[in-house]
Amino acid sequence: MDFTLTSDQSALLGALDRLVAPFESKPIDFHGFALVGSDLERELTEGEYFDIAQIPEMGALTAAMAVERLAWLPYTADIALSMLVRPHLPGDWPRPLAVVENGRPGRFVATARTLILIDGDDISLAQVTPDDVEPVDSLFAYPMGRLKRQPKATKLSAEDAATVRKWIRVALANEATGLIQAAIASAVEHLSVRKQFGRPLGAFQALRHRMAECAVLSGGVRWLALQAAATADDGDAALAALHAQDSATRIVYDLHQMLGAMGMTLEHPLHLWTYRLKALMSELGGRGGQSVAVAQHCFA
Amino acid sequence: MDFQWDAEQRAFRDTVRSFLAENLPADWESLAHGPGSESQSAFSKTFCGALAKAGLLVPHWPKRWGGRDADAWTSFILAEEMWMAGEPRGGQYMNVNWIGPTLMRFGTEAQQDRYIPPIARGETIWCQGFSEPEAGSDLASLRTRAERCDGGYRLNGQKIWTSYAGHADTCFLLARTGIGKTGMSVFLVPMDTAGITVRQIPSVIGEGDIHEVFFDDVFVPADALLGAEGQAWEIARNALSLERVGIPRFALAARMLRRAVAALKKADRYGHGAVEQSARALAACEAARLYSYQIVDQRRHGTPTGPEASAARYATVMAERLVGEFVVEHCPDALAGGDPLLLAHHQRAIVAGIASGAAEIQLNLIATELLQLPREPR
Ligand SMILES: Cc1cc2nc3c(=O)[nH]c(=O)nc-3n(C[C@H](O)[C@H](O)[C@H](O)COP(=O)(O)OP(=O)(O)OC[C@H]3O[C@@H](n4cnc5c(N)ncnc54)[C@H](O)[C@@H]3O)c2cc1C
Repeated sequence: MDFTLTSDQSALLGALDRLVAPFESKPIDFHGFALVGSDLERELTEGEYFDIAQIPEMGALTAAMAVERLAWLPYTADIALSMLVRPHLPGDWPRPLAVVENGRPGRFVATARTLILIDGDDISLAQVTPDDVEPVDSLFAYPMGRLKRQPKATKLSAEDAATVRKWIRVALANEATGLIQAAIASAVEHLSVRKQFGRPLGAFQALRHRMAECAVLSGGVRWLALQAAATADDGDAALAALHAQDSATRIVYDLHQMLGAMGMTLEHPLHLWTYRLKALMSELGGRGGQSVAVAQHCFA
Repeated sequence: MDFQWDAEQRAFRDTVRSFLAENLPADWESLAHGPGSESQSAFSKTFCGALAKAGLLVPHWPKRWGGRDADAWTSFILAEEMWMAGEPRGGQYMNVNWIGPTLMRFGTEAQQDRYIPPIARGETIWCQGFSEPEAGSDLASLRTRAERCDGGYRLNGQKIWTSYAGHADTCFLLARTGIGKTGMSVFLVPMDTAGITVRQIPSVIGEGDIHEVFFDDVFVPADALLGAEGQAWEIARNALSLERVGIPRFALAARMLRRAVAALKKADRYGHGAVEQSARALAACEAARLYSYQIVDQRRHGTPTGPEASAARYATVMAERLVGEFVVEHCPDALAGGDPLLLAHHQRAIVAGIASGAAEIQLNLIATELLQLPREPR
């Protein structure tokens, strides 16, 4: 057990900090739902960041830290699946990746080159062209897309499917970690400056305690997500995804409540994180789905 | 960052487990499991004596006091295994976690020579006299007075909720020698001193745990004072910070959750609702475990413990709550004569957010120190 960063991990996070500097805040004139980070994605590709999990000194744990860090940004791209799931696909599949679960619209589906198709217990992979997919308007703060027609797909063995499912859970949990942290930071800023009844809202104990509970949950989500990336254990992955979805459900509600009407606007950036979290809440069956996996792997 | 135990840590855990297997009586799990109960307190003296002989009571202490300077992980692994086994050290876990280390830091040589060796031999019980009827969370409002007199001090006042007081040899007492936070002092008071009366408080948490302790014109010599007059706040803060992640409650909570799930499965009663609740509870236990490990890791690296310790404590409270509620909803028979272990856990779990400081006080600290939200007006 050692909870300090290795020098490689510190160096990587330092490099990422420099890389993301231009992407740290939402453009003032952006009033939309999905702030797509094409330039960010290009820089990550050029820096070969999508392959860090395969570098032995880095591995999935360091990739998870990168996913967490990048999820703080108001800009979004397919980062988590590329960094954490792609290394575990059988064969070489081009990124970006996206998941289509039981035919529903999914994040990044309209721009993905490889789709992970989940149908009940089955998982298959398909390379897609722009003609196979189309964007859909949505409330979620990811670019959402859906299949226009069924592409030719390769069905995975049960074992490979289980591995892919596990890493999707790890990816989801680590992405949620960064989103939750960024959302909380954004709310803390608001509560520190917004005054009512002659004092900052953040000085009211009713809100301080709610925020503190959110912070505790957030830290727990982070530890479980990092542990799952490090151990690659099925049970750890299920616990991480469950705790992420469960905590996000509560935190998203609380943060919006505490921001008042300001949190309803597209001018304030909060929705960029909370409406990403809302998209993650339903994945792989949501809390019910993760619970069944926990029961299967942890209470056997 | 590394989430695996190394070979030495695994070996140490095995040693502790073997020790437990050899030294716990066959009927251990059905003994009255209040850490302050008659049977457990009596057993703790034999057990801690044996632990001490095996080098497993105070491995994290300096060599001078019978330890081997083992790192923070060693003492935490030990604590996990002990708590998970129902804490056979009884009240003596406090001795090794914070009373001994506090005496090492603030005690005079004579105080150390008098009090530390019996702790290291596992043969003495202490109690913590902090809370009073009018001073709970607001500890600084305590009223028990220590007035100077010829050769020492005279103590008058009342403590409450004092764990293990019925069996304790010595009290780590907080009393007032002046006004405000700087007017509080610590006294090391033998419990057989004339003028001390102990009364057990009947409670839902089991026999022998909490007590009232009355101090009626109790004389203690001047050398009963620990540190300087007025230094109690600093000493108590130091002691409480050692206690904040002192008890690895998550370990027993997770074990009891598994026990409850196994029972439900056997009875074919592990349905949807139970699956979801048990999974959430296990996630909370895991979160509390890793949070606590973060603090242990800080200690191991000699980093001062920050507000994360409060978060670790609160995460533990949430885990205890979810496991406790799971058992109440799905295994109510356990609390009605069905399972002494689940019952004992329930009795311990319900105080997680109260004993050693209310959880809300931790939330206040998290809001101010971790989130840096504006302070409440005073
Ligand atoms: C099993 C057990 C063992 C104990 N053992 C010992 C012992 O050995 N020695 C000892 O000295 N003490 C002991 N205690 C006492 C313990 O330290 C106190 O119970 C604790 O500090 C809380 O004080 P209180 O019970 O007086 O609650 P109060 O201070 O009356 O508070 C009650 C509740 O009010 C809320 N509250 C209080 N203050 C605030 C605030 N500022 N902001 C928001 N909410 C607040 C919290 O919800 C709190 O739980 C023990 C308690 C228990 C339950």
